[in-house]
Amino acid sequence: MAIITLPYRYLERLTGTDRQTIIDRVPMIGADIERIEEDHVDVEFFPDRPDLYSPEGVARAMRGFLGIEEGLPVYTVRPSGITFSVDPGLADIRPYLGSAVIRNVDLDEEAIESLMSLQEALHWAVGRGRGKVAIGVHDLDAVTPPFRYIASPRDRSFVPLDFEQEMTLDEILTDHPKGRDYARLVENFPRFPLIVDADDQVLSFPPIINGELTRVTTATKNILLDCTGTDKKAVMTAVNIICTALIEAGATVETVTVDGQEMPTLAPAERVVSVGECASLLGLPLTVQEMARLLARMRFGAEPDGDSRVRVLVPCYRADILHDWDVFEDVAIAYGFENFDAALPATSTVAQEHPIPAIAGAVRSVMTGLGYLEMMPFTLTNERVLYANMQREPSPGTLRLLHPISEEQTVVRTDLLPLLMEMLLSNKHRELPQRLFAVGDVVEACVTSQQVAAVSIHPAADFSEAYAAADVLCRELSLPYTVTESDDPAFLDGRRGDIIVDGRKVGVFGEIHPAVLTAFDLEHPVAALALDLTAVPGYPVPPGTP
Amino acid sequence: MELTLNEKKLLVVLGPMGSADAAALAEKMDTRREAVVQYANLAGERGLVDVEKHVSRRYAPTEEGRAYIGKGLPERQVLESFEETIPMRDLQSHPLAKIGIGWMRKKGWIAIRDGVVQKTGNAAFGPDEAAFARFGESGAIADGEGVADLARRGLVQEEETVTYTVSITPRGRELLAGGLDLQEEAGTLTREQILSGAWKDLPLRRYDVGKLPKRAYPGKTHPYQRLIDEMRRVLLDMGFTEMAGGIVQSSFWNFDALFQPQDHPAREMQDTFFLGERWPLPAGYERVRDMHEHGGETSSTGWGGTWSAAKAEQCVLRTHTTSLSIQHLAEHPKPPVKAFCIGRVYRREAIDPTHLAEFEQLEGIVMDEGVNFRHLLGFLKEFYGKMGFEKVRFRPGYFPYTEPSVEPEVYVDGLGWVELGGAGIFRQEVTAPFGIEHPVLAWGLGISRVAMLRLGLRDLRQLYRSDVEWIRETPTYGGRR
Repeated sequence: MAIITLPYRYLERLTGTDRQTIIDRVPMIGADIERIEEDHVDVEFFPDRPDLYSPEGVARAMRGFLGIEEGLPVYTVRPSGITFSVDPGLADIRPYLGSAVIRNVDLDEEAIESLMSLQEALHWAVGRGRGKVAIGVHDLDAVTPPFRYIASPRDRSFVPLDFEQEMTLDEILTDHPKGRDYARLVENFPRFPLIVDADDQVLSFPPIINGELTRVTTATKNILLDCTGTDKKAVMTAVNIICTALIEAGATVETVTVDGQEMPTLAPAERVVSVGECASLLGLPLTVQEMARLLARMRFGAEPDGDSRVRVLVPCYRADILHDWDVFEDVAIAYGFENFDAALPATSTVAQEHPIPAIAGAVRSVMTGLGYLEMMPFTLTNERVLYANMQREPSPGTLRLLHPISEEQTVVRTDLLPLLMEMLLSNKHRELPQRLFAVGDVVEACVTSQQVAAVSIHPAADFSEAYAAADVLCRELSLPYTVTESDDPAFLDGRRGDIIVDGRKVGVFGEIHPAVLTAFDLEHPVAALALDLTAVPGYPVPPGTP
Repeated sequence: MELTLNEKKLLVVLGPMGSADAAALAEKMDTRREAVVQYANLAGERGLVDVEKHVSRRYAPTEEGRAYIGKGLPERQVLESFEETIPMRDLQSHPLAKIGIGWMRKKGWIAIRDGVVQKTGNAAFGPDEAAFARFGESGAIADGEGVADLARRGLVQEEETVTYTVSITPRGRELLAGGLDLQEEAGTLTREQILSGAWKDLPLRRYDVGKLPKRAYPGKTHPYQRLIDEMRRVLLDMGFTEMAGGIVQSSFWNFDALFQPQDHPAREMQDTFFLGERWPLPAGYERVRDMHEHGGETSSTGWGGTWSAAKAEQCVLRTHTTSLSIQHLAEHPKPPVKAFCIGRVYRREAIDPTHLAEFEQLEGIVMDEGVNFRHLLGFLKEFYGKMGFEKVRFRPGYFPYTEPSVEPEVYVDGLGWVELGGAGIFRQEVTAPFGIEHPVLAWGLGISRVAMLRLGLRDLRQLYRSDVEWIRETPTYGGRR
């Protein structure tokens, strides 16, 4: 999530109101206040609103929301005459380039910091970690147009940012910290993206690192912006957000001609939306005028289009407006979520419980009646607990996580009994007897089904206790069952039984094998059972599949 | 005041004696002394007898000490074994020489010169010997001069003796004079006594309600399960149909069907548990593909780019139960639909007290003609209210598959406003591919958060790796925190 630092003095100047009003109201445009500090506030904005990732962007939105300045912000651009060419060899590598010239910037250390953090937030939210879009800002006066965006041999060298000597592009990937972070984005290509000027000086090796040559400092007056990427729309979103934020800060923007196309236009997109559709989605009695007024507060251009529609001009920095309903949400925000009158609809329905939770409920009632305590163990576990400790062979349907986070949790449980054995261990210091059960999901070969398992530990726990519990459970669940001798290695030979229903093994019970007790570090006999609930009459078919 | 039979028997025996030692009474009553003390204490509480406890300290001989009784301390025995002088070598053959010689020298009874032992003539009978001599009369001696020396030498050991003297009080005498019924009391009521009516005249033993019973632990459901059941009940009461489904979902149902772009950060392996398994796409998946690529038939632009079927086939551990909601809607596209689900969901998070890789999520959906944003807020207020959160407020939120989106907050005493769950109206990009024509109100919340608030937990792991003691001690019906 993007957390943006908003310095009060700068924000107050840009917004034209006091800090308290901003802190009080900013959550109602969609934000979480993270920290309120002496001289600034840290605010988290949502990933669909990268235009709010700068103090300038927040001030622009807040001026509208607070009624200080409404309607579409109009941004004008002049041509710079600068051209940029894109090498067709980049088509399969990183084909898209967006650019602009930003003049008359006035950057102090704080402003540079703010620009860098906007860049980083955009890399995350729009650029998807620089893969989709990467942004570079350069001191325009250090280089000479026209510029070229080329697919360069990998042995080309230049001085990357924060270094003093030249490095080849390959060296940068292995030796520069940014190179190591982002190498995966380019390393499989025969050639690498590079931006050079008329004198063949290197500005940038996108999406990895800029050159030291064009470093932006407090002395920088004019900026060349480059946004490269694999998605044209996302590239232009980044250009628009940075350009408009810098205009809000007092700079002017000039266009660059990229392969004959002049950009950026910073022009709004038009969308004609239905007032009736908005009114019925939000449950508000809206007129065309009211809706237009509310949208103006959210900085849209909005004017009535006949008596049932509104013509909406969507600012160029709003990347989140994909659908008319995105516009309607802004109507709701402008109206104020706190002003909605919550109501229940007339919808009449009759409740129906699902058979699986119903069966699980019956199991709970039987097991608690037998004096067992319920446990709710994790579904993620490991093969040592699930199989090795139980002296069992791993089930072929075991699901293994591709990227587990710890050695404790690497697979999805295929059986509940081992997890209850683990529970007995963690409760070893508690008073005996302990009788525990669990009912819940087990997964094999992607199919989720439900199981009940139970354990009883105390000096006199034995086969008879397990058999009696299994018998009660089956009778209470209307399961006509028979028992045959089991060969389950988790149990003692001669003291174990398989529960058979319709010729299928659906459960097991008996005395846990002493070697299994030792593996779980237990010191008393354990009587145990496990039962597959898919055998219960009324269990839905098919069980849960992906 | 109803006396027990035993108290009555005690009074009867004690009456003629007036006052007696408990041991003596026990002999007369043919019982143990401890029992007599217990009866006497009961009667004492009623003011019928006085019980006096005496503690006396006495000394009994140790095993070594017992060997000297009647013969004298070893130094005396050795001293008397020879005349005025004796060669050391000869004296050393005495069985007690080792102990005796040392003590004789210490007490100044002898002097040793040139290997010859000579009596000094100064061997008076000491207080230790006097004390030791008293063992001749009884098995134990009282404290007195010299006893401490014997204790230090390990010849005697201290013994605490407690005796009780029971004396009848005037009230006791009065009661005794009035006559006491000495019929035997019964401990248990038998079948025969019930059938025959003998119970009517049966003196049943009375029990002391002041004594706590042995602690029993009932079988019971998990405290967290009881909370889940309560939430289920609320939603069933509100007319919702329950959904259930698999833990393993294809990316198609977990993400794509919910219009989550294929390059969304949640779909990276850092956030989601991916499995090697794949699951075939359902019929009609092309409509979802078109929605992603260009917005299908709606006013949406879609995400652009090329949608990958291979990516959608990858299986994951469901990151939300919304994957079940959309499948339920796909199967029931006609209004009205009101459905809910409570199930475990998975996030690739390192485990700590407030983060788990798996936890329960509750989710509700309402689809009907004419339902709107106000109704969504209405359901949220109603649901949270029934869960005991009286004050609810709403802020704009963001979820990839809803528009508008809401972050509900509830007021919790001592904590203030707490964000609890998320809600919104399913985007048309989500509903249109499945032929759903009316708005779908949806909300969900991680209910382990509610459990923390309601059960007062500091560590979420307690829900899943539970302490048996905690479950035993958490009341089944605890009221609300």
